[in-house]
Amino acid sequence: MSNASLEATVDPAEVQGWINNLGTEPSAAVPLLQAVQRAFGYLPRKAMDLIVANTEINASQLFGVATFYAQFRLDPVGRNLIKVCHGTACHVQGADRLNTSLRHILGMKDEEEDTASNGSYTVEDVACIGCCSLAPVMLIGEQAFPNLKGADAQRHLVKHAKTVGEILPGQQDKDDEKGGKS
Amino acid sequence: MSGGLIINVGEGTCGIAAGAPEVTELLKKRFPDATFTSVGCIGMCHQEVMVEITNQDGKSYLWGNVSKKNLPKIVRFHRGEADLPEQLLIKSTDNPDTEKSQYLIKQTRIALRNVGELNPTSMAQFQERGGYLAIEKILKGEKPMTPEDVIAEVKIANIRGRGGAGFPAAIKWGFARGAPGDVKYLVCNGDEGDPGAFMDRSLLEGDPHSVLEGMLIAAYAIGASKGYAYIRAEYPLAVEYFGKALEDARSAGYLGKNILGSDFSFDIKIKEGAGAFVCGEETALLSSIEGERGMPRIRPPFPAIKGVFGHPTIINNVETLSNIPWIINNGGSAYAEIGTDQSNGTKVFALAGTIKRGGLVEVPMGMTIRHVLEDIGGGSPTGRPLKAVQLGGPSGGCIPESMFDTLIDYDEIDATGAIMGSGGMVVMDSKSCMVDLARYFLEFTQLESCGKCTFCRIGTTRMKELLTKICEGEGTMEDIETLEELAPNIKQASLCGLGQTAPNPVQTTLKYFRDEYIAHVKDHRCPGGVCKGLITHTIIQKDCTGCSICERYCPVDAIEGTLKKPDTWVIDQQICINCGMCVEVCNPDAILAA
Ligand SMILES: Cc1cc2nc3c(=O)[nH]c(=O)nc-3n(C[C@H](O)[C@H](O)[C@H](O)COP(=O)(O)O)c2cc1C
Ligand code: FES
Repeated sequence: MSNASLEATVDPAEVQGWINNLGTEPSAAVPLLQAVQRAFGYLPRKAMDLIVANTEINASQLFGVATFYAQFRLDPVGRNLIKVCHGTACHVQGADRLNTSLRHILGMKDEEEDTASNGSYTVEDVACIGCCSLAPVMLIGEQAFPNLKGADAQRHLVKHAKTVGEILPGQQDKDDEKGGKS
Repeated sequence: MSGGLIINVGEGTCGIAAGAPEVTELLKKRFPDATFTSVGCIGMCHQEVMVEITNQDGKSYLWGNVSKKNLPKIVRFHRGEADLPEQLLIKSTDNPDTEKSQYLIKQTRIALRNVGELNPTSMAQFQERGGYLAIEKILKGEKPMTPEDVIAEVKIANIRGRGGAGFPAAIKWGFARGAPGDVKYLVCNGDEGDPGAFMDRSLLEGDPHSVLEGMLIAAYAIGASKGYAYIRAEYPLAVEYFGKALEDARSAGYLGKNILGSDFSFDIKIKEGAGAFVCGEETALLSSIEGERGMPRIRPPFPAIKGVFGHPTIINNVETLSNIPWIINNGGSAYAEIGTDQSNGTKVFALAGTIKRGGLVEVPMGMTIRHVLEDIGGGSPTGRPLKAVQLGGPSGGCIPESMFDTLIDYDEIDATGAIMGSGGMVVMDSKSCMVDLARYFLEFTQLESCGKCTFCRIGTTRMKELLTKICEGEGTMEDIETLEELAPNIKQASLCGLGQTAPNPVQTTLKYFRDEYIAHVKDHRCPGGVCKGLITHTIIQKDCTGCSICERYCPVDAIEGTLKKPDTWVIDQQICINCGMCVEVCNPDAILAA
């Protein structure tokens, strides 16, 4: 389910700037895609076309690389990104429950969905982020939250949503049901 | 009053996650005249946030588990207004030998010698602690060392690669030294793919200059002029600090053309990984640096002969490299004296899972696993007995409690079916499921298989399917036999270490925890209470208080009842997805998962 409103507008001059900095040879493929993803949160088709048109990297190499590495995504992300660690330490200590509780409060019912319907948050699973002794861990944006239970994950998300002014679709449903009490 | 205090706050990734920036900010308000240093993670992750404060009289205090809430106690103590808050103290100048400090005292820190002791962004502090003396000794000491001398010294140390394969570093260096070619490469492998391990992160983040110095020495030994540090994408702080170290070393003349005025020139570029486990494998890593999909290559030719862009290349792990300066400074024989016959020196482990004191542990080879888990790690935090420890991540295996007396030694651990691995140690108590763990790893390797070899690509998929089936209670005894048959075939018919080791988690759990597999298949029961298809959640009404918190957190609205009336609360089994959220939030422990 792609979220049309989240599509990025790509400025060709910006892409050219990265190419000037990072080079045009095949070995620049990964760094170039990383620059694009850093700017837009995903790899917009237009940016990839610009890279192919203006470097020695051909389309099959670029698309091959983009689909090989877990870091890259071809679909837009929500305005905020949540990363849930699913490394071994986090897995054995209940990382699954973080997903269940986050998806619930974000109103994400369809298993394929990873972004809330209002474009507020995307939930992504990642391999270890290197804080295994504080498992389970998640990141909202750059901030890490350690030693979480499912309920803690929800609590942090609610707090974050308040500070950035986002509405959590799942929370709304529940509040409506209960006559607005939270 | 507060002038002259020296305050160090642990601000590695884990310290930051635990709230170090908030604590620092408060401390700066309370002690505006103090000197603040942000240090790397000392590896006592269970004690984060950690703050070390040195008074004007030179006495220092290391505080653990510091939070916004308990900080005032520490502040008042340092102002001389209150007594020492014992429960927060890890150790002090007057009292270095506390129970909490045993965690550090029982370790032998060589690779981690500087981690947590210095500000990783300060080259000056690194040099105060003996940094760059090894490369100075080699290039312009009283008796400068030739590359052959360096290789000989490392050979005496007999250090084996810490990235997992355990190949002797000196032998590998010798190959590359002897390989024909004007341009040679040295690559530092900081991909740290084992999910559940963070030794290399802590080193890159907490002591980047030691890794850099190790790279310099290795490059000099093999005759490399170009280097790459391949650091995984999930470690932004490591990339930042290592990048800063490169800049500082370059301006100080330790990196670049004619290092320290010698004719040795070497420079390093950082390559950020992009999230692919297989890229930690050395030949896949080469493809990745070249801008391709990270597909492993057939060996021979070995990278030492034909590596990055076709040039002779040595790939060494972060921890291997950070031991090298110590070896040059202290001599290979000092290193070789530590450990066992075939496994010399120390090994760093990342201790996590159900363990009281998790974090970084560096011990001499030849210690028992039990020593690490119980004496240093403090054993189980839950009151339930420990069941197993997982070593080596997706390439490794599970060692049962009955074998915790196994020595930390490459050969001894191999004999159990597990591997030393890169140092991930995930501990599990009785509330864990070994079949689920095997399924977890096979799901991981199946996703991460690059797809080149049929047996790895399809074999891991089949194993994952069979394990999922067993976890869902649909498995048969024949499925277990099929798993046993697939394992050796996948190992034999895969090109790289990923496929060659992928069946290890299945084989070791089948070897040591076969009864758990059988319980799933024959009794439709998950003894650890983990597999969702085989457990149900029910409310124990006699323990329930009717507080309704479970209702609030249930993601599928399966729980109903009347406030404050325990005997009305029930879970609708038709709706329940057994996620366990209710168990986590229930205060009186009134929900049974079985
Ligand atoms: C699938 C796979 C993943 C690997 N991941 C890593 C890794 O993340 N870090 C690492 O240093 N070595 C890793 N290795 C081992 C490397 O191939 C190589 O042996 C090592 O980097 C050599 O350095 P060392 O001799 O200093 O250990 C991996 C191997 C395989 C087969
Ligand atoms: S396993 Fe989650 S941080 Fe390492």
